Amino acid sequence: MVSESFLRSLYGLRLASFQRRPGNVMGERRSVRRGRSIEFADYRTYTPGDDPRRVDWNIYARLERPFVKLYEDEQDLTVHLLLDASPSMHWRDERDIQHNAPSGKWTRATQLAIAIGHIALTSGDRLIVELSNRERFGPRQGATATAELMSFIEDQSAELNAQELTGAAGPNRPALSLNSWWKRYALDVQPGICVIISDLFDPQGCNEGLTALVSARLEVRVLHTLCPAELEPEVVGDVCLKDSESGAAQEVSIDEALLRAYQNRLRAWSNSLNEQCRKRGARYHLTNTGAPIEQVVLRDLRREGWLI
Amino acid sequence: MSLLNAPALWLALLAIPIVLLYLLRLRRRERIISSTLLWQQVLLDREANTLWQRLRRNVLLLLQLLTLALLVLALSRPYVETAGALRGRHIVLLDASASMQATDVQPSRFEAARAQVRQMIEQLGPGSALSVIVVDHAPRALTPPTNDTGELLSALADAQPSLSSANWSAAIALAQAMAGGDSAQITVVGDGAGDIDEAGAASPLALLDGAARFIPVGLSGDNLAVANVSLRRTAGGLAALVQIDNSGEQARDALVSVRVDGVLANARTITVPAGASATWTVTGLDLRATSVHATLQAEAGNWLAVDDAAYAVHAARRMRRALLLSRGNLFLEQALRLLPELEVTRAVTPPVLPPSGQEFSFDLFIVDGVSITLPPQAHALYIGDAAPFTVTGQFSNTAYVRTEAHPIVESVDWRPVHILSANLLDSPDWLKPIVQAQGGPVLYAGQRLDTPLSAPYASGRVVVIPFVLQQSDLPLHIAFPVLMANAIEWLAPAQGADIPLSVHPGQVIPLPPNSAVQRPDGAVVIVGEQGFAETMQPGIYRVALNNGQMTSERAFAVNFFNRAESNIAPRLPAHAGAADPASDEAGAEIAAHELWRWLAAMALLVLIAEWWIDQRGAPTLNLPRAGRTPKT
Repeated sequence: MVSESFLRSLYGLRLASFQRRPGNVMGERRSVRRGRSIEFADYRTYTPGDDPRRVDWNIYARLERPFVKLYEDEQDLTVHLLLDASPSMHWRDERDIQHNAPSGKWTRATQLAIAIGHIALTSGDRLIVELSNRERFGPRQGATATAELMSFIEDQSAELNAQELTGAAGPNRPALSLNSWWKRYALDVQPGICVIISDLFDPQGCNEGLTALVSARLEVRVLHTLCPAELEPEVVGDVCLKDSESGAAQEVSIDEALLRAYQNRLRAWSNSLNEQCRKRGARYHLTNTGAPIEQVVLRDLRREGWLI
Repeated sequence: MSLLNAPALWLALLAIPIVLLYLLRLRRRERIISSTLLWQQVLLDREANTLWQRLRRNVLLLLQLLTLALLVLALSRPYVETAGALRGRHIVLLDASASMQATDVQPSRFEAARAQVRQMIEQLGPGSALSVIVVDHAPRALTPPTNDTGELLSALADAQPSLSSANWSAAIALAQAMAGGDSAQITVVGDGAGDIDEAGAASPLALLDGAARFIPVGLSGDNLAVANVSLRRTAGGLAALVQIDNSGEQARDALVSVRVDGVLANARTITVPAGASATWTVTGLDLRATSVHATLQAEAGNWLAVDDAAYAVHAARRMRRALLLSRGNLFLEQALRLLPELEVTRAVTPPVLPPSGQEFSFDLFIVDGVSITLPPQAHALYIGDAAPFTVTGQFSNTAYVRTEAHPIVESVDWRPVHILSANLLDSPDWLKPIVQAQGGPVLYAGQRLDTPLSAPYASGRVVVIPFVLQQSDLPLHIAFPVLMANAIEWLAPAQGADIPLSVHPGQVIPLPPNSAVQRPDGAVVIVGEQGFAETMQPGIYRVALNNGQMTSERAFAVNFFNRAESNIAPRLPAHAGAADPASDEAGAEIAAHELWRWLAAMALLVLIAEWWIDQRGAPTLNLPRAGRTPKT
């Protein structure tokens, strides 16, 4: 899926957290909780029960009132990786069919998931990966879990491919809509960073899900993954377009003017998603699966400030 | 607007397969994409454009149906009625006489007349019928009365002018027969020239009695013609008499050339007074010449070309031997002595003749009051009581009644002739009365028909004058030597066979079967059983006679010589005024203009527009068409 050299090039990177979140165990991330680290944070008035060792006696000498020194608490960070595994993510475009290759879009999504998961694991964060079919990986911590992550994703890819080829629903639970999936996920979740890898093709949209995730104190980052055939479709003529997920048919006579209208619509949709994310304090980035993975991870995501 | 071919509208049912094909064509190829979410939004955004897209497809269908409708409508031959149509039955007499070849109207009078008739055909209204009769020496209808303008125009295009006069009497009879009553309108298109016979009788067109319309063609009467060329032996050699006629209103100069056997012998410019003739005698020509060809050229005032040349044949005449059986007749002997190439032997008693079928030593017998029985192949002139036919009586009421047309009475005026008494003969059928008096015939002529068909010789010709010459004043009239000359020439032609020296175009010559005739253009024609009729080409015709075992060379000339036709001045019949088909009563009716050409052109334009719209909506080159459906 990803080369070892690429994984090595990710060493030293970590996901930037723009907010401090309370963790469960001691970690390498600063927490909003006042803890026992050596980094001073603030003062507060002494209340009975406070540890007398934290009273700042110099202040007490000057003000004759006891104040307790508060220190930054460094705790662990949970990285939630939500990978959309709906049929639209497995759709193969003309190029894939010509080369008899698996879906380039899904391949790129899994590469991004492994890269981000690897970065999270190597930077000491806890990693939870969940697919839209509710298959879950983690929580795991430590760089050694990367291999398990890759194995999990490969297994899921093989299983999903088999389902696609046979057309069977499979033994797993069916994929939910984005809103349902994210709202359910937000019910019981540790605060942290939530990276969503999806094409966001959902007739019902994803605003409610986004709101739910943000409300669950997750720092949401939406990696909008679209393939070149979706960004610049080459379909022309009188065709009956069939939705890979719903099977709904749409008869359309495509000409150049309609293609221009499609791209304008796509641009407006992307801008709208970006705006919705910005309003909720989330981050949004549109990525083309046709671009090299190195360029996306090492240049684009760093430029966006997602990786530091 | 009405339709000429309404059943063609059934072709409109072809719209059904077109619509079906269109619906089949709209079966779109299925293609699976990741999501139709954006496409649905695009189509919602472009609702108006979607309508246009549907409309664009529908426009193509509508244009195809419009093309079909236009084509079907064109096939149904719609027409609109405008002023100027022809209705009812029309008989058009198209003058095809020689004068119609005059070029005072460009390109010719006949073409102008053809254009007039074509215009009438094109104005033919629905339900009406028209027939064109081409009027030359043998009038004929091009088509029966019909409404089919294509057939009429095609037949009209094949009509050609002739070199003969128009036989208006026959044409009018034919027209009236085709008209079938008073319902048909007869229209005469021509120049009127040549339709008045030389005797000055009323034009045959007067027979129409004002029932015909006359569309005049022709502007000028200026024409020069070679009216005659005749040869005569003189002491100084052969002399050719050339006569030039000027039918115009101004004196004209004509350059006349005379060629002998194709070699120019003499030429001079002759001034011909207006409406008169000029003659020129060319003397000193070689007696051995066989043909003379005279032509004229004029810088102006000569609109008809076919009469600018004339031909004469110098026949190698032979001496004819005649046996005169007479007890003495001074008038007769004197008249026979004047005839050229005639050697007369007089006898009182009949000679002993060879058996039937053998050659005689005489070409003809002139029997004046002597009883003799001649073999059937003998040519004979019987005078008085000599005729071998039963005399049933006599009559003295010999006042002239009429003369039948026959070569022997050509230029013979019998009216002043008085006869004391004449025999009434029990004549056989083949012996026809030629001159009829009140009491009975006074001149007979005919060719024997009692000769066996298997006989190797031609049957004899017989002329009978059933009265004694001395009992009449016939020998005292100028008619007598003319009659004798005609009779001798008819009984024993100078050329040895019955070949005239000069004939008119179209005249049939009774040449013996299997004779070969070389036409002026060089083609050789073998004569059939009906004689030689291909005499439409003026010039010298050379004949190789096949008369039994003998083959001999002869020649004759075909000359235009037609003063009536050479006088090309347009003449309208006195009873009929000039009429324009678009302005008179018939023309004031309603004309039908067919619209199918316009409809076909519109269908073509719509088809081009449909193709253009279809091409305009097509994708650009570098974009592949949707054709494959991805398998996921």
